[in-house]
Amino acid sequence: MRSLTKLTWVELKLFVREPLSIIFTFAFPLVLLVVLIASFTPNDPAFGGLRPSDYYLASYIAVVIGAIGLIVVPVRIAGYREGGVLRRLRASSVPGWSVFASQAAVGLGMAVVGAILLGAVGRLAYGAALPASLISVTAAFLIGAFSFLALGLLLALIAPNARAAQGLGLLLFLPLWLLSGAGPPPDVMGAGMRHVSEALPLTYVVRALQDPWVGSGANVAALLVLIAVAAVATAVTLWLERRAG
Amino acid sequence: MTPIIEVEHLSKSYGETVAVEDVSFDVARGEIFGILGRNGNGKTTTVEMIQGLRTADGGRVRVLGIDPQHDPRRLRPRIGSQLQESALPPRIKVWEAIDLFSSFTPRGGDWRKVLKQWGLTGKEKASFTSLSGGERQRLFVALALVNEPEVVFLDEMTQGLDPVARRVAWDLIREVRERGTTVILVTHYMEEAEQLGDRLAIMNDGRVVAIGSPQELIARSGRATKVHFSTGDRDVSWLSEIEPVSAVTQHDGQAQVTGSGSVLALVASALVSHGIIPSDLRAERPSLEDVFLELTDSAPADLAAPAIATKAATAGRRAA
Repeated sequence: MRSLTKLTWVELKLFVREPLSIIFTFAFPLVLLVVLIASFTPNDPAFGGLRPSDYYLASYIAVVIGAIGLIVVPVRIAGYREGGVLRRLRASSVPGWSVFASQAAVGLGMAVVGAILLGAVGRLAYGAALPASLISVTAAFLIGAFSFLALGLLLALIAPNARAAQGLGLLLFLPLWLLSGAGPPPDVMGAGMRHVSEALPLTYVVRALQDPWVGSGANVAALLVLIAVAAVATAVTLWLERRAG
Repeated sequence: MTPIIEVEHLSKSYGETVAVEDVSFDVARGEIFGILGRNGNGKTTTVEMIQGLRTADGGRVRVLGIDPQHDPRRLRPRIGSQLQESALPPRIKVWEAIDLFSSFTPRGGDWRKVLKQWGLTGKEKASFTSLSGGERQRLFVALALVNEPEVVFLDEMTQGLDPVARRVAWDLIREVRERGTTVILVTHYMEEAEQLGDRLAIMNDGRVVAIGSPQELIARSGRATKVHFSTGDRDVSWLSEIEPVSAVTQHDGQAQVTGSGSVLALVASALVSHGIIPSDLRAERPSLEDVFLELTDSAPADLAAPAIATKAATAGRRAA
């Protein structure tokens, strides 16, 4: 356990030394949040009764989770595999799952920091509301994060190198970002886009965060979808792992 | 004494390509065992299978009595690995890497001591990518020894080191052996194998073509030693009467005496007792490189010799 703790601490230090990780995790969601809130008037009716600041704050916290899960974590792990780092660690009795666990832990930590950063900007600059039920929002955040980290670890297992992980991650991330609720508001999206949105896992993170945030209570259906996603992703990961060796 | 490593009929293929075929050898406790061969001839694949980092297609391996193919986790804490293709996260600092790897083992010591021992003082805050090739190699060897293993596997340990750094590394490996660690050294440098190896296995095309100490291998090859010196105008053809001498040629005041074994000592002694004391007496001894080149261009018939050589070498060690 002592070595896993130390590994996680070192991974954390390494994460913050990487400019690309910082940009994707913090700068990109923050800039988009600001731009989007500024693009709409506070009582624009396209958000189903919510103010744009409240709507987008929750969705961009989801985006942080999505970016870390689908891109940042898989790219780091695939990069380690490609570079021989995983093998070097395995030769010193550090199993693959330890590396995955430490990366996931750092990913979760960074997602929390990202969420707090967005929340601070949203509240202080745009007067976004505080969450009506902090417990429900936190639970939704954690379940969403675990769900996307599980997807990320699956991607990390199947991507042969960092470039492939980045390509695959971006391919998956971009539609999620645009259609799950961090892009055009729901009333602006056509029926076709809304249908696609229903099939995207990030949509459920957005809903799971938004509902308790504005006082509509926990969105149990969304949470169940996310738990199912996490379960399936984990099961596939373990099955592939067992098949490989 | 049971060998600390037993390898029997180890083999591995990648589809059509045979990487390792029918490799067998034993390693005795406390020796430096070299595996010598050109790049791409199966050395790394062989040692990675012995360390349990690669699956073997066939054969039997035991390291410290443990089967690395089926029980690698029990073996890993007791061995050290310096891998050929290996890296660390690019931005990790030297002290962080040593500290991290020390934390993986109960025997891990203070990173400052390791840093100093391997000549990396002053580089503790340097990132891995900023290190020179030689510094990276030293770091990897340091990491391989951080758990004070009973057996350490070094794969091309001095690659990228300048001649001075290489000799420093050789001294460190000798010290490691003095402390009782068994060393498996994979290399394509002849001089390194000759200088460090107590015994060597020469590999070619995925097979072992010879096993023995450097001296045994050279002697077995039957290659001649050539002794050169100036004679002025004196005739030295009588030297051919000395036992180990096979030929004497003289040309332009220079003599060349071809022979084997102790020919240099006997020729020198004979010359002195005849009143000839040349100031430029020198010998050209067969080197491991000569032996290696001969063996790796050899016909299959020569492959019969190694099996006998192994048993002879092992029997010799048991008697000693």
